[in-house]
Parts: sequence; structure tokens; C-alpha cells
Amino acid sequence: MIARVRVWWTILRIALEDRLVYRGDFALGTLMRFLPIITQIFLWSAIFDALDRGPAGPSRIVGYQFEDMVAYYLLTMLARAFSSMPGLASGIALQIRNGEIKRFLVQPVDLLGFLLLTRVAHKLAYYSVAVGPFALVFFLCRGYFVHGWPDASTIGLFALSLVLSFLLGFFLEACIGLMGFWLLEVGSLLFIYMLLSFFLSGHMFPLDMLPHPWRELVDLLPLKYLAYFPAAVFLDKLGSDEIARGVVVQCVWLAVFIVASRIAFRRGIRRYSAFGG
Amino acid sequence: MESPRRYLGILGAFARNSLMRDMAFRADFLIECASSVSWALMNVGLYAIIFRHTRMIGHDTGWGRDEFFVFMATTWFVHAIVQALFMPNAEEFSELIRTGNLDFALLKPIDTQFLVSFRKVDWSALSNLLSAGLLLAISLRGLARREPNPLTFDPVTLFLYPFYVMCGVAILYSVMIALASTSIWLGRNQTLYDFWFYITNFSRYPMEIYQRGWGRPLGAFFTFIVPVLVVVNVPARLLAQPLVPRASWEWPLAGFTVVATTGSLAASRWVFQRALASYRSASS
Amino acid sequence: MAIIEVNGLSKSYRVYQKPEGLLASFRGLFHRTYRDVRAVREIDLEVRQGEFVAFLGPNGAGKTTTLKLLSGVINPTSGSARVMGHVPWRRENAYRRRFALVMGQKNQLWWDLPAIESFRLHQRIYGVEPAAFHRNCDELTELLDIRPLLHQPVRELSLGERMKMELTAALLHAPDVLFLDEPTIGLDVVAQHQIQTFFRHYQEQRRITILLTSHYMKDVAALCRRVVIIARGRIQYDGSLAGIIDRFSGSKIVTFQFAEGQSAGDLSAYGEIVELREPKARLRIARNEVPRALAKVLASHAVADVSVEDPPLEEVIADLFTQVNGRPAEPDRGDAVGEPMDEVGGVVP
Repeated sequence: MIARVRVWWTILRIALEDRLVYRGDFALGTLMRFLPIITQIFLWSAIFDALDRGPAGPSRIVGYQFEDMVAYYLLTMLARAFSSMPGLASGIALQIRNGEIKRFLVQPVDLLGFLLLTRVAHKLAYYSVAVGPFALVFFLCRGYFVHGWPDASTIGLFALSLVLSFLLGFFLEACIGLMGFWLLEVGSLLFIYMLLSFFLSGHMFPLDMLPHPWRELVDLLPLKYLAYFPAAVFLDKLGSDEIARGVVVQCVWLAVFIVASRIAFRRGIRRYSAFGG
Repeated sequence: MESPRRYLGILGAFARNSLMRDMAFRADFLIECASSVSWALMNVGLYAIIFRHTRMIGHDTGWGRDEFFVFMATTWFVHAIVQALFMPNAEEFSELIRTGNLDFALLKPIDTQFLVSFRKVDWSALSNLLSAGLLLAISLRGLARREPNPLTFDPVTLFLYPFYVMCGVAILYSVMIALASTSIWLGRNQTLYDFWFYITNFSRYPMEIYQRGWGRPLGAFFTFIVPVLVVVNVPARLLAQPLVPRASWEWPLAGFTVVATTGSLAASRWVFQRALASYRSASS
Repeated sequence: MAIIEVNGLSKSYRVYQKPEGLLASFRGLFHRTYRDVRAVREIDLEVRQGEFVAFLGPNGAGKTTTLKLLSGVINPTSGSARVMGHVPWRRENAYRRRFALVMGQKNQLWWDLPAIESFRLHQRIYGVEPAAFHRNCDELTELLDIRPLLHQPVRELSLGERMKMELTAALLHAPDVLFLDEPTIGLDVVAQHQIQTFFRHYQEQRRITILLTSHYMKDVAALCRRVVIIARGRIQYDGSLAGIIDRFSGSKIVTFQFAEGQSAGDLSAYGEIVELREPKARLRIARNEVPRALAKVLASHAVADVSVEDPPLEEVIADLFTQVNGRPAEPDRGDAVGEPMDEVGGVVP
């Protein structure tokens, strides 16, 4: 057990060091992530500006006032910092194509476990630098959180939904990457995923804005847990029964993708060995 | 540049080789085309949803749905050209630096910036020109029926629109090549594309949205220092005419755009030359 | 007439020192330590028109850096150089039309297209007249025996074929000066030999000036009369290949053939025994000891035959490189710049 922990720790540490070497990249990348928020703030401000002001209180779109919209956008940024997995699927597919994946047949390390740890390390390295800018931006934008801090239980649920969104994002993309055993090129699959999540995860706009059949469809898909759900939990846009249902559905999806990735890996490896790689 | 004809000939050869290469991988090419077009459709979808909930972007700015779709089509024109001509080259430039293959570019008896900037053409990106054309046609048809000020075309606009689209291309190119040059100093520069996207992101919306509070200095920065705001705004405004009659500041802005284009090109060339001087050529 | 003149040419790099350990990596985000690496130090060199000069040296000695300086790819820290009257790092088009650099480890042809397309591009870039282009292209592809491969995508060619295509591309504009950096690296013996033959033929015919770096002594021995040895960024030797032995080898190989029934006995007092197979013995003896050792052995043994030879060239050079690299390290060793460090023994093919 201790040996195992030590192996994990080594993997984690190497991945962290690898991340931190390229300083210029890192600093620029982190800083730049916040630029789109600025345009979004101005864009939404202008959109709300043009609305007819209601007789009572600020103008709203599907229950969101301007400040909510910005807060929502900030929170989805945070959620996506957990749920997005840059390079994961394409990395797995590449390893399959160039045969590097064989390493995991020889070494006593589990591929998915290894990737998950590396990903955790990447995320930790990222957060260790990004926490500053994130805190700063949220502090500067505290005015947009018109209802202040939510209560402790909501924060707990929010944290839970973030962790779940990380795991869901990871296993979902791992599944896409593992399709590389069967497809020559997962690029187009990944593209479809990105396209759908661009629209249906809610990181461009609150999903409540979707018109009729789409709104109901999105509730059944796993994508909304990658961005919309944590933000909506934090902003108290969901009733407690909706949250409970959401967490359950999310857990079901997570289980589905964990099992799917296991199966895909095992079958893929078998197929790989059968073909002689 | 000694002989424009020679450079044009070389450009033709680059374009030809790239097309031959693209055609060798036809499936990839089609997928690329399909993906650019789908992104475009998604964007239309996003704003179609937004315009279900609002009439206009900004109070009294005139950017209603059809006007904004003209704006969006213009964005696509500019970006399709930039992506086709320069994006693959800027990405490859970082790669050339990393591998030391920039050596070969430096050996050639032509302008190095020209060679590095135009080496490859991504023909699939041009598919967005079609989407842009289609969106433009549909939204202009809508604008021709606009109440109370239906859109009218005059020949000057028809000449100026493509001219300012090309100015926009030149400005974005300058930003891109200057950014790509920084990888000589910063080493591996994977975030180049992100960085470029974030900066040019400012150009994707009507400049009126930066009209209040701290938007003003920001708008000024992206107009006068890094002039990405004029890239789409000037040609789109010329064509869609959100404000009737035209505002007094529109023509001076158009004049400034010409200055900004020249300035950007000069500045990016300076950065490029400085970067080359620091190039140290990776070994083996 | 000197076609290449180099005076006091130096090149230093600042190299980022990657810290070890996690904490240090974090610190590296904010504060970095650099060290200076002097890749080329105060090199003086003069090459006449039509010479074929080899640069020899251990990995990272500064050979490639020198070639890159002369082709204007990088700027020097100090010193001057003129090639055909041009300062290389000004990168004037007039200069760039007249030379070529071929690097065995890099390729510039379009990977997915037939080589002929890259050649046509070169024709345009160098402004080669169509007639000259066809003549050169025909001649080169004929000499290198790659004519039938011109219309195959480059990625489908073997390493040797690809190198020949690279050479053709580099020579299409008929350069007057050619820099070759490890042109035969990684190639099989046949391809190596073909390319050697090609260079000899091409150089004899055109009388162009060629500077070559190579790890293969066979390349050097077959092609170059003049050899420049660079180590630690400095020129250590400049002269003929044979002269290297006189200069750097401190020993001779002495072979005794003893008379019938004569036992060699203990010879180790005279020198290092290389081979002992009675009645024959080969000894390595320090050069200034040779007369004394000979006299003693001849006096104490019945000797049927004796020969005194120089040690093999490869061995001398390998020894030389090992010596140079093995010296206690100065802080500014030049090895961070050149090729990746591998065995110095790579000198021997």
C-alpha cells in the first residue's frame, strides 16, 4: 500500500514539475483565460441595456438580472476549470496510435489511474497559479453576486458538484480518447463533443434560455453538469428537489462513463494485442 | 521587396502546393470544412437565442438582429481569410523555432517574414467564406426591408467594404505574427492560439458595448494601441449602417483604420525582426 | 584567393538552467538562473576557392555553430566573417543565392508532396531560370540516381533517398559555397558511399568550396585534404589528415617478428602490449622511446622482422576527443549547444 502511494506521489510530482518548467506559457495562459469574461460582461451589459425596464425592479432574462448573468458566467468559468480536460482524449488516441500505450501492458500501472493522477497534477499545478487570478477576478466582480455568499449547505453542494464535474469530464473524455482503438482519428468525434458541449453545457449562456424541446433534452444529457449545474446550484436557481435529482443523474452518468471507459480499455487492449499493435 | 511579381509567383506556388497537400487528404479536408461551418452555425444559433430575449445589443445602438448578423458575417470574412492564410503559418512558426527548422527559412533569398507568413494555406478555412456570404445575403435582405430606414447600397460602400475587410485582415495578421514571434523568447508557446483568440475576441462585438464605465479605457486601448476593435466594426458599420443618419465619428474612425493598419504592419515587422535577431537555432 | 575569411569569431549562449526538484521548479517561475555557454571562441579561419574542408570534433565542439554562423542563421557575439565578400548574418539576398546549407538531421522538403514540387518552389524562391533549373535538376537526379522517385511523396522515401532529394534541393541554384552538416548521418553504408562519390564528383567538376562536418572518418578521408579540428569551441588543428598523427599521436605501433624458437619474454617494460601471439608481438611505444626500445629489444632478442607504424587515424582522433572532453571541466563547456551528447566513439564508423 505504501509502495503504491509512493508510486502515485512520484507520478504526481513529475507531472507537476513538467508543468512548471514552461513559465512563459503558463503565466500567459492563466492570465489570458480571464479576458473573455471582460467581453462577456460588456456584451451582456449591452444586451440588458436594450431591454425595456419592467415596472418593478431590474430587467430580467429568464429570471436572471444582469448581475446574475455575469456571476453565472464567472461560475461556469470556475466549473470549466474543473471539468475541461485539454489534450486528454487526443493524448490517449495519440498513445494508441504510436503504440506507447503498450507501456501500460508491461508496467504495473493502470492506464486510467495513471491518467487520472496526471490530470489531477495538471489541475493542481494550474490551480496553484490560477488561484491568484481567480480570486482577484472574483473579488473585483463581487458586486455581481448580488445575493452575497450562499449558505453553507449550498456551498457544500457546489463543491460536490465541482468534484463530480471534474470526474465526469475526465471519464467522458477518456472514453472519447479510448475510441482511438477502433477509429483511426478521434479528432472528429472530439469535435462533435466540443461542439455539443459549447452549446449544451451552458458555458455560453444559461441553459434556461433554451426554447422548448431543447431545454428538456438538455436535462437528460450529461453535458449540463460540466458548466451549468454547478453555477445554477451556487446561484440558487434550482429547488432542492431539482438539485437532488441533478446530483443523482450526474452520479449515474459518472458511473456509466467509468464502466464504459473500463470496458473500452479492456476490449481495446484485447483488440490491440490481437492485431499485434 | 524587390519584385512584387516574383513574390506573387512564390505565393501562387505556396497556395498550389498547399492545395495539392490538402487534396491528398481529402477526408480530413472535408471534415475541416464541415467543422468550420458547424461552428458558424452554432454561433448563429447562440445569437438567435439571445435575440429571442432582446431586440438590440446596447441601448439605441442600432445593432438589432439583422445588423448584428451583418457584423457577424463580416467577422467570419475577416477570420476566414486570416485563418486560411496565416493561422497555419503562425502555428508552424513556433514549431519552426522549436525544431530549429527556421534555419531553412533564414537561408532563402527572400524576405523571411514573407516566407514564414505565407508558406502554407489552409484551404478548408475558406469554407467559412461561403457561410459568411450566405449569412450576409440573408441579413442584408432583411435590412433592405428595415423599418423605418431600409438599407440602400451605394457604389462607394461596395468598394470600401472589401477594402476595410482587407485592412482588418492586415491588422489581425500583425497581431498574430507579433505574437508568434514571441515564441523565440518564450520557448514553447502552446497558448499562442488561445492568446490570439482572447485578444481578437474583443473584435467580435460592436464597439458600442465598451461605451460605459471602465469599458471606455478598454475600448480606447483596443482601438488605438492594439487596434483590433476597428477590424470588424468599421467594415460592418459601413455596410449595415446601424445608425441612420450616420454618426459624426464614423468617417474619422474609418480614416483612422487606414492609419492603424499601416502602423500595425510596421510594428509587427519590427517585432519580427527583433525576434529573429534573438533566434539561436535549436541544435539537431 | 580567400573565399571565406573568419577572424576572432565567437558565439555565446545564455542557457536556462532547469532546476531540479519540485520546489525549485516553482521558484523557477519567478527567478531563473542562467549560465553562459561559449560555443565558439575566437575562431580564425581562411578557406580558398575550391577547397573541400572537413570540420572534425567531438559532439558539441562548435562545428555546427560555426556552420550556422557562416550561413547567417545566427548572429555572432563578436568577431567577423566574410564569405564571398558578404557578411553572412546580414542575410543579403545576393549572398543567400550563392550558398547552401544541408543539414543531415533536418529536412525542408514538403513531407506529403512529391519532391519535384518542393524543387519547383525552390526554383521560384531562388529565381532560377527554367532552362538552368531543368539542366541542374536532370544532372543532380541523374548523378544521385533518384530520377524515378521525383514524383513520389517524400514521406514514402527511404532515409537515403530523402537525403539525396535534400541535396538536390540545396544544389538546384548551383551555389558557389556549400556547407554540409553531417550529411550522411544515419545512412546505411551504400547510401553513404553514393553520397561521398557524388560529392567528390560534383566538387571536382564545379570547383565549388565545401565545408563539411561529419562523424564518419570515411567521409572525411574520402573527400577532404584539409581537416580542421574543433574542440571546446576552439580550432585545435588545421592541416592535412596525415598531419594529425604527427601532431597528436604520442606513440607508434611497433611489431616484432621473433626468430624461430625465440620466446618474447616480458616486453611490458618497453611499452604497452597491444597484441602478443608468438612469435609476433605488437607494442605501443611512446614516440621518443622508440629508438631506445628498439635497440634494447634487438640487443636482447633474435628478431626476424620489425616494423614501426603510426596508430590508425580513427584511434588517434578518438583519443584526441576523449582527451579534450576528459579534461577537468571549465565552467563554460561548449556542449550545450551542439548536437545531443552521445558517445565520442561515434567517430569510428
